[in-house]
Amino acid sequence: MPDNVIDQSKEITILEVLDRVLNKGVIITGDIVISVADIDLVYLGIKLMLSSVETMEQVKSGK
Amino acid sequence: MDQIIYAIVSVKKQHKELNALLVELKGISGADLYDVFFDDVTAVVSNIHRNNVVASRPNIIEYAEVIETLSQNFTLLPVRFGSVMESTDVIIKMLGRNYAEIQSNLRKVENKVEFGLKVFCDPEKAGADTRATVSVSFSDENSPGGGHSVYRNYLDKKLQEHRMQERHLAQIDLVVQDITDTLAHLSPLHKFQKMVTAANIINDLLLLGKEKEHELIQAVETLQKKYGDLQLLLTGPWPPYNFVDFKII
Repeated sequence: MPDNVIDQSKEITILEVLDRVLNKGVIITGDIVISVADIDLVYLGIKLMLSSVETMEQVKSGK
Repeated sequence: MDQIIYAIVSVKKQHKELNALLVELKGISGADLYDVFFDDVTAVVSNIHRNNVVASRPNIIEYAEVIETLSQNFTLLPVRFGSVMESTDVIIKMLGRNYAEIQSNLRKVENKVEFGLKVFCDPEKAGADTRATVSVSFSDENSPGGGHSVYRNYLDKKLQEHRMQERHLAQIDLVVQDITDTLAHLSPLHKFQKMVTAANIINDLLLLGKEKEHELIQAVETLQKKYGDLQLLLTGPWPPYNFVDFKII
């Protein structure tokens, strides 16, 4: 398998991890705490992160 | 000291096994992990200061690794990153208050794993293929007022675009139906989205028994061969993040 395909697959897998950890799973209402700092993510990851932070904010505000 | 919760684990008579595993693992920033339990459900936690719950890539990957390792040995509910409670007592009370719902969700995901299937197409190529099969025209040079005009050309163009879109969606529906039918017997529980973007035509999440992993991989390989123009991306096995999407208080 070419190196670029492997790199691409790894990057996609990391994005899948980020999506699951930040956006999915059991929500314990009222206790989501998150800070965003020193983020070293690829372009798609940044979009993903922003959407996740929005989700956190929604959870915190009980929307 | 605050405590961050990684997962809620079903631990029936395996407290020793869980503790042995937790000794080998480290949480965010190398913190020790420990268990907080109520009856046979256990929250896996580590100490953290609220201000240090930073959504950085290393923290998220460390967090995911804990959940991943635990899920290989226990049935669990992954908890969303950032779930922090102020003390062990508060966590025990939370587990007690939500015991029935936690148990119900643990039963749903017992001995199951999650897979993600994404299907991509090349929108430009798909558009060109569809364009080649669609040809419509309002223009009729023999009809009164017929012939080409700016308006008729515009209508032709819009109608053609509409027909192409219809044809493209119909083709995608066929692929969706085929994939759904092929995978249905493997995973009765799945979450499906189509046309997420122009390129990402299908997002499917499946919850299936661990014993069916190999069968799923083979089925996806067969589908990939059948649809050579599409790119199928299967990821997993994952802990069941997408099938425990509920709130507890």
